[in-house]
Amino acid sequence: MNDYFAVFGLPRKLQLDPEELRRRFYELSRVHHPDFHQGASEEDQAEALSASALLNRAYRVLRDPVSRVEYLIALEDGRETREGADARPRAPVDLLEEIMEVQEALQEAKAGGLDEVSRQRLSEERQRLMARQLAEEEAIAARAAEWDAVVVGPGDRTALLEWFKQRLAARAYLRTVIDDVSDALGQGEERHVSHRRH
Amino acid sequence: MPYSDKVIDHYSNPRNVGSFGKGTPGVGTGLVGAPECGDVMKLQIKVNVQTGLIEDAKFKTFGCGSAIASSSLATEWLKGRTVEEAAKIKNTDIVNELKLPPVKIHCSVLAEDAIKAALQDYKEKWTNAAAEARTGAS
Repeated sequence: MNDYFAVFGLPRKLQLDPEELRRRFYELSRVHHPDFHQGASEEDQAEALSASALLNRAYRVLRDPVSRVEYLIALEDGRETREGADARPRAPVDLLEEIMEVQEALQEAKAGGLDEVSRQRLSEERQRLMARQLAEEEAIAARAAEWDAVVVGPGDRTALLEWFKQRLAARAYLRTVIDDVSDALGQGEERHVSHRRH
Repeated sequence: MPYSDKVIDHYSNPRNVGSFGKGTPGVGTGLVGAPECGDVMKLQIKVNVQTGLIEDAKFKTFGCGSAIASSSLATEWLKGRTVEEAAKIKNTDIVNELKLPPVKIHCSVLAEDAIKAALQDYKEKWTNAAAEARTGAS
């Protein structure tokens, strides 16, 4: 299977030039666009369609610096978010405790009918959590160059891989709790639909 | 995705929700999470240090229906078992009982992790007290 980097003919690296990525995306979009394959055989048309879908998926993931890290680390870890996979990263207990506390406060506020005071408090909590998430994302992005150097040269790849997994896990917890608070406040983000709870 | 009747039952009527007061004797707490979806699960056991039996269990889970059902079922199963028996509960038992689909197996894994963490925490905190209680009783 083509990984998303291969789709663009790019090396598996965390640092990439967004302009270059965009240019390749448009180029390939034209090549695979179903409109240019209308006269072709049904088989060719289906192929163009699936190539075009893959290209769009790949672009969405790679253009965002954090989801790019998430994707590559999962790829390198050899388990693309497979269900029931073992050796999941352990989040630090204090983070889990904090998330638990926020969720409990949220539950209480919801049970109390979300008056002005609790809305205000939740709103501040949300701001604080979003700042934390941003800090995690910046920390992740800041070590991208280090990873790229380790992949081609000497260095402790395993330790860095573990570090990324831990930070990505922390970010995932923060993102979920922020989603839940946002939903309660009616401030759901349009950038992604709640990715769970089904 | 259709949930099994048992999942719906536990989800809409969860057993043993809550937590024990801080410092309650014989309590072991397991706090675990699933980074894939951001679910968090807290599971506690209350062990009678004299008999070694789990007298009570409570949980709090913030997650999907399957995660809530898995931990609710786990607390039911834990009650009345010894600490050693409790360690034998496997995620596959939960999967079978609740008929969880493959995409929800990680919820049962989370519950097994929570049980293990709670047992571990109990052992770290209360094993000495339990030994003393038994020597004192004999």
